[in-house]
Amino acid sequence: MTRLLVLREQLKLLCSKYEIYLIPIGKFLTAMFTFLIINGNIGYMEKLAKFPLVIIMALLCSFLPLNFIIIMAAGLTLAHLYALSLECAAVVGILFLLMFLLYFRFSPKDTFVVLLTPICGALGVPYAIPMTMGLIGSPSSVVSVGCGVVVYYILDYVKDCASALTALDAEGMTSKFKTVIDGVIGNKAMFVMIVAFAATIIIVYFIRRMNIDHSWTIAIIVGGLANILMLLVGDLVLVTNISIIGTILGSIFAFAFVKVLQFFVFNLDYTRTERVQFEDDEYYYYVKAVPKITIATPNKKVKKVSASKETAEERVVRRSSATVQRSENAVSRERKTASSQQARRADGVRSTTGTGEAMRDEMLKERAKRYVDNHSK
Amino acid sequence: MINEERVKLMTRLAAYEEGEGKRNEAIGSYFRGDYLSLQIMKSIIYATISFGLILGLFVLYDSEFFVQEIYQIDLIQYAKNIIFYYIAFTAVYTVISYVVYAFRYRKAKKRLKVYFNNLKRLQVLYQRERKDKTQ
Repeated sequence: MTRLLVLREQLKLLCSKYEIYLIPIGKFLTAMFTFLIINGNIGYMEKLAKFPLVIIMALLCSFLPLNFIIIMAAGLTLAHLYALSLECAAVVGILFLLMFLLYFRFSPKDTFVVLLTPICGALGVPYAIPMTMGLIGSPSSVVSVGCGVVVYYILDYVKDCASALTALDAEGMTSKFKTVIDGVIGNKAMFVMIVAFAATIIIVYFIRRMNIDHSWTIAIIVGGLANILMLLVGDLVLVTNISIIGTILGSIFAFAFVKVLQFFVFNLDYTRTERVQFEDDEYYYYVKAVPKITIATPNKKVKKVSASKETAEERVVRRSSATVQRSENAVSRERKTASSQQARRADGVRSTTGTGEAMRDEMLKERAKRYVDNHSK
Repeated sequence: MINEERVKLMTRLAAYEEGEGKRNEAIGSYFRGDYLSLQIMKSIIYATISFGLILGLFVLYDSEFFVQEIYQIDLIQYAKNIIFYYIAFTAVYTVISYVVYAFRYRKAKKRLKVYFNNLKRLQVLYQRERKDKTQ
């Protein structure tokens, strides 16, 4: 465990040190991975599905804001769908527009979840998304995750029915629209998934905010179980053909995935290095403010095992000598304070009678003796 | 001579200005009523476009029915229904946006207050420095 903690601290250090390179690399990899998944699943426009083009687009995304990846991914998806059928592209385009107009103007940051949900779905860990969003997001994440689920199921539907949609060419535009919209609206599994994910996010969110020990772990476990339960009930009620074993295995995998993520990413409390510039009347300041980071190294305890064992008698002698030493120290301390008090008083009164001093000495000695006796007892 | 305390404060202020500060300042430049009315107007426009898109999808979905039954449909009643749905949709969306933006305005104002307090502190530091220089 200590090694893991040290590793985490080192990761934190690495992040803040090479942040300037790591962020573009991260964006590049995310964009490339996203575009490859889109091309792999619905790559109907062959011109766009070429690897060099993917690299160029990903490179472009690495220097632009994060939301640009989402715009590029949406554009790429629509282009591929257009190559398959205009109606399909129109329906998906309208759905994208509705999401952007109605929801993402409130929280542009949440847009990334819409991208991550289909990616996690394609990777086989869709259940990790509601758990993660419950841990780091808020109840409003329900909407973004819901949108992500809709996108995932639409693309999944298009992928499955591509040949059927192409065959409908002869029947005209209206029947194609009807088929696509029916396919999207009539997908019961999608609605069950949206409800289960929404409930999971809310459960995880409220449990992780509770004032109890290990609230995060409990939240993940309870959220995962609730998710499985709701999917099973949904499957029984609506006959959605959701694989039960797949759900359980997926939830276990998602639990492990979120636990690792929680340890290495969420607890990083990684504060950014700030680079700012400003000026006053005399100077231009180019400031790089680096947050203080300390690496917690494991505490090494050195335990000495002495060869000779002291007897009980020796121990008693050692202790009593220590007590005597302490009492002697106390006597000397008391004498010092008494003499200083005396000096202070002498400054004011100047009583210099010999008998007085002798009496005071006597009194001090007596007090010291009493102190020693009390302590030696 | 560089005043360390002042540089620290200025760094913090500059970091805030570059990040969250930009957005908060944009919000803070409005009066509450103006800001909320602007956002509500935007919401109504967005809701109208969205409703139009949904209606368009619905018409495309049911286009065969429309073509066949256009003369049998009570068009005035149909239009009334559509207007009712439009008003309900827009009203719900506008109320949600009002709540969200009212909350956002309050939060931004609170942050700006802290920012202005820090600016005052900076001014005090400047004045103190100038006084030291003149002495």
